[in-house]
Order: sequence, then C-alpha cells, then structure tokens
Amino acid sequence: MTLFHFGNCFSLAYFPYFITYKCSGLSEYNAFWRCVQAGATYLFVQLCKMLFLATFFPTWEGGAGVYDFVGEFMKATVDLADLLGLHLVMSRNAGKGEYKIMVAAMGWATAELIMSRCIPLWVGARGIEFDWKYIQMSFDSNISLVHYIAMAAVVWMFTRYDLPKSFRLPVTILLGLCVYKGFLME
Amino acid sequence: MFEEASEVLENMLKWSFPLSLVLFLVLVCPLRAEAAHEFSVYRMQQYDLQGQTYGSRNAILNTEARTVDAEVLSRRCVMVRLADFSYEKYQKALRQSAGAVVIILPQNMSTMPQDIVQQFMELEPELLATETIVPVYFALEDEELLSIYTQTQISSSSQGSSSAAEVLLHTATANGFQMVTSGAQSKAVSDWAITSLEGRLTGAGGEDLPTIVLVAHYDSFGVAPWLSYGADSNGSGVAVLLELARLFSRLYSYKRTHAGYNLLFFLSGGGKFNYQGTKRWLEDNLDHTDSSLLQDNVAFVLCLDTLGNSDNLHLHVSKPPKEGSPQHALLRELETVAAHQHPDLKFSMVHKKINLADDTLAWEHERFGIRRLPAFTLSHLESHRSPARHSIMDMRSVSSLEGLSRNTKVIAEALARVIYNLTEKGVGGDLQIFTEQMVQEDQLASLVDWLTAQPRAAQLLDKDSSIVNTLEYYLSRYLKDVKRHLVRADKRDPEFVFYDQLKQTMNAYRVKPAIFDLLLAVCIASYLGVLYLAVQFLLCLYNLFLLLFI
Repeated sequence: MTLFHFGNCFSLAYFPYFITYKCSGLSEYNAFWRCVQAGATYLFVQLCKMLFLATFFPTWEGGAGVYDFVGEFMKATVDLADLLGLHLVMSRNAGKGEYKIMVAAMGWATAELIMSRCIPLWVGARGIEFDWKYIQMSFDSNISLVHYIAMAAVVWMFTRYDLPKSFRLPVTILLGLCVYKGFLME
Repeated sequence: MFEEASEVLENMLKWSFPLSLVLFLVLVCPLRAEAAHEFSVYRMQQYDLQGQTYGSRNAILNTEARTVDAEVLSRRCVMVRLADFSYEKYQKALRQSAGAVVIILPQNMSTMPQDIVQQFMELEPELLATETIVPVYFALEDEELLSIYTQTQISSSSQGSSSAAEVLLHTATANGFQMVTSGAQSKAVSDWAITSLEGRLTGAGGEDLPTIVLVAHYDSFGVAPWLSYGADSNGSGVAVLLELARLFSRLYSYKRTHAGYNLLFFLSGGGKFNYQGTKRWLEDNLDHTDSSLLQDNVAFVLCLDTLGNSDNLHLHVSKPPKEGSPQHALLRELETVAAHQHPDLKFSMVHKKINLADDTLAWEHERFGIRRLPAFTLSHLESHRSPARHSIMDMRSVSSLEGLSRNTKVIAEALARVIYNLTEKGVGGDLQIFTEQMVQEDQLASLVDWLTAQPRAAQLLDKDSSIVNTLEYYLSRYLKDVKRHLVRADKRDPEFVFYDQLKQTMNAYRVKPAIFDLLLAVCIASYLGVLYLAVQFLLCLYNLFLLLFI
C-alpha cells in the first residue's frame, strides 16, 4: 500500500529472525560469518536443485487438474538435497550440537527470506493496491524459520551415531515429513 | 554483532558496487501495481465555441471514491448511478469542491425507465452550460464496477451513524477505493479539420439551370463525445440524404427522366457546433470562387435534420415563401403528398425569424438565409431547443424504421413533383412515383445501423476517419464531382476549439485507510513483543532444564 505497509511486512518477517539470533546466544560465539556461509550454501544447493530439475524433468503436458503424482513425487525427492545441504553446513562447523543446529538453520532461513520474500514485498507491498497476501507472506516466513530449525535439529539427530535405537524410527519419519511436506499438502 | 556485520558488509560492498548500482535503479523506478478493476471512462465535453467555454476543464484524477450520500465530498471522486442522478446532487458535489464526478450508465439504456431517460436528456445542456474545473466522467456499468459502487456506498453511508468505537473500527478496516486515471491533462487540439462532403447531379438541358441543394450534417452531439451516437439527430437526416442521392441518381441516369434541375448534395461537418462546415462552405463558394452552383440560380436549399420515427413533420422557415416561388412549390407539394398518400402524417410549416443576437443559430437553413439563399429545414421536432438534438440517449433502438422510410418517401415524392413539375402538368396527388422497391426500409435500416455503430462527435472525426471515407465512397457511387471541404479554426480568433483526453482508462485500487497501517504496526509490535518474551521464557526454561537434568 505504501512504504509504511512495506515496513510493517518487512518487520513482521525479519524481526523474529533478529530476536532468535539475539536470544539464542549465537552472538556470543561470533557466528555471523558462519551464518552467511550457511546462506551461501543454501544458494548453491538451490542452484543445483534447479539445474537438476530443469535438465531431468520435462514439463508435464497432461490436462489441467490431473495431478501428476509421480512427477511431483520425483520433484519432492530432489528436496532431499536440502537435507544434504543442512548436513554439510553442520558438519563443517565445529562446536556444540545446539550451536551447529542454530547456525545452520539461521543462515539457511535468512537466505531463503532474502531470496524469496524481499523482492515480492518490495514490489507488491509498496503499491497502491492493498492485498492480504503480503501479510500472509511475512507470517509464512516466521513459520518457515521454525520449520528450518526443526529440520536442522532432526538432521543432526539423524547423523548422531550415539542415538538410541528407539529414537531412530520417529526421527526418520519426521525427516521424511520434512521433505515431502509440500508434496503431502497438495 | 553490529561491528562484525559492518565488517562483513564492507567487504562485500567493495566488490559489489555494480550490483548496488543496479539495486539503486530498481529502487528508484516508478511503481505500477495491479488494480482491482480497470475500466474505460468517457469524459464530458470540453470545447470553446466563439470564445465561450463549455464543459469540464480537467481530466486527471487521483482521488478516493465516495457515493453522493456521503457527508464529506471534498477532494473525493463522487460516484453516482444514472438512476440516482439529479441536478441538485450534482450541484452539491460541485459546491463541496469534489475531486471528480463519475456517472455510471447502464450497459443497456433500454432497461432504464423512460422518465429517468427524459430527465437526463433535459439535464445535459445544463451540465454543459456550467463550466467546471471538476472532471466529469461517464462509465458503463459492469459487474465489478457495480460491486465497487455498492462497497463504496456501504462505507460512505455508515459514516454518520453509530457509536465512536464502531466508527473507529470501521474506518480502520474499511475497504476504500482509489480512482486514478492514467492520462495527461487535457489540452486544446491544434489544427483540427472538420470535413464536409459535396456531390452533384447535373441537370439536363444546358447552362443556367436552377439548383436544388440538399443538406444534412453528419456529426452528433451529447454530454460525452464518445457516447454520442446520434441515431435520430442526425443519423436519420444523413440516411435520408443518402437515399435521395441514390434514388435521384437512378432517375438521372435515364434520358427520359433526366430533369432540368441541378441537384447538389452536401454532408456538412461541425453541424452541432453552430454549423461550421456549412458556414465555411458558403463563404468559399460565394466569396472566394468565381463561378459556383450556389452563386447562380438556386431554387431552394432543403436541410434535413432529425427525421426519425414520429408522426409529425415540420418545415421550418425563416421567411414564409412567396407565392409562385420554387420554395412555395415545394411547400405545396409536401402538403399534397402528405395529405393524399400518407394521411397519418401531420405536416405543418413553422415560421421562426433568424435571431442574430442568439449565441448559436437555431437550424441549418438559417446559415443559408443569412447569405440570402432561400432555405428551409425539415424535421419532426417542433423546436430547435428540443433536448433530443443534443443527447447521448439518442441511440439506435431496435424498433423498426417505418416512420423514417415514410418520411423519405414523402420527401422524395415532393421533390420529384417539383423537379418534374407534375402538379402543373395535372398529375393528381395520389400518384406514387417511387414504388415500394425504390425506397427500401432495409437499406435505410442498414445505413442507420452503420451510422450508429460508432460515436460521431465532431471532435472524433478527423479527415482520415472511416466514417468520412465511407461517406465519400458512398456519395461517389451515385454522384459526380464528389469533393471534400475542410474547415480549420482561424489561428488568431478561433470559432471553435476542441480539447483532447476524451476517453481514459480509470483504475480502481483497493486501499486501506492510513489508520489501518498504524493499527497493523501496533499489532505487529505486540506480536513481536510476545515472541521476544516467549523466547526469553523458553531460554530460561531450557537453562533450568539443563540444570535439573545434567
């Protein structure tokens, strides 16, 4: 609607990240540069995913309304690369468990925020026309922050070799849920 | 955190200067948002005639919408539906210095009751007479526009009532609309050429034959130029003239029926603006050329104006014709034909002296009368001030053209009787010269359909427009020496000035009031506060947990 509205949406999207960063004690560990590195890894992983999808999955020419289960399943499988990326970030960071999770998740989610939400907000929320979807988008970014923290935590748990056997199954299920979340929601 | 952040950013910025330049350009570029609804609007007339300004002066608009019952109208765009429109409301809006007025017309005018249509027709000249700086637009109603209107109405009318808290809540959450037009400010069109067309059928029998001139103006007029279709005034006149051209060219093509009169057909432009086309044509023919049909023997000039579906026919004269003159002959023939062949037609002569003190001339024949040429106008209207001559409601209705074809027959018969001198030769009044096949109602219907398919306001028809070209083509099929005649306004003292920006696209954007932004800011601040407290709380809990279990 106006710059003020843009400011509202931006603050709604960004402040939780700021709060999380401050309160999780990451600032004591001088983790800013590590978060940026995690963000760069996110960019790299996204690029690889896009190239992979473009090369190996031609556009589906079926009728509208027919949901291509197999194709979408395959595409969702590619999101496994996200998990690999998170694992990569975490393995490169030495330190305590929570520290690694938080760094990875923060960097990942911030990169996603900047890449996928800033431009629509800038272009759309600043116009004359008002639409609820910008508030929704900002709120959505909050939810995805929590989602990425959880995902990073589950990945970390998955890679711990001293995990009790009883925990393995739920952890795997949760991991699967993370990856196929988008697919299942359709 | 900020020191390390700034360090990192500094490093990044050093080798990303081009990127920041691009970013700067992106930031600075103007914004174009998607509108809730985009629709065409047609502006009210704006013109100067003989130094007098008429109509709405302004074209741009960027204001919030309100309906006419709202309390505060200043600097707002007032939206009115045709059914609720009245002159008092319009005056009220202007008095409160409204930003703009948008009048919503129904898509299909025939759904409107007749009295509303009549009332609006009478209001049109008054709307134009009050010169205003407020832009006045007309829009055709569709579903989305109607929904925008009802939403605006709900929010406008609830402003005066209910408690303070309700009003506050309402103003904070209401859905307002911002109306924006995309065009520029209106300015005068320079060097506009009004085109007129003439053609002739030469009589048989050598030099110095008397000439009969048939004239009709082809432009139309209404409160909004893009909506003036002018079916009756003067689409009917043009259709009759073209039919007469066709009929008489058929008669003149056979030696036996080639009469001793020259027939000159003239389609004048700018007729609704005090007959500019005719005026200049007369000046050129009488003052500036050596020999012209108009200078020699002119029997009479017959102007055709508004001959639609009605049972009346009036011959308007500025001077009653003298006995024995060709004008009197035509008058007599018209009476005879009407009486004998079409008894349901009421024919009469109306005498009105030319009043040069008036702003505009009444009928087209007065232009000829001023130059001492004998002329009259045939019309079914009794008075030149009739609102039907200047209305946007004058559209092609689906009714049949019985009246028009009957009037065509009457005129054709009367002219034929004058040209061939039939009364003196003893031919009775009952003899029909033109049979059924000659004057065809279908032909007239298709002509009127074509003429009313697009608006024919004088501001919209320049010399390359399709209507002018088609008329020229049609005339050249039946007449000889078809010529164009252009009228441009004088540079220093223009008789007429037209303005542009008559059709615009208006965008309606859904907006929230400013308070809503503040409300949202407060909500977001409180949400963030709660989040912060929750995180702190969780942190305490976590530390507590660690302490307890480790």
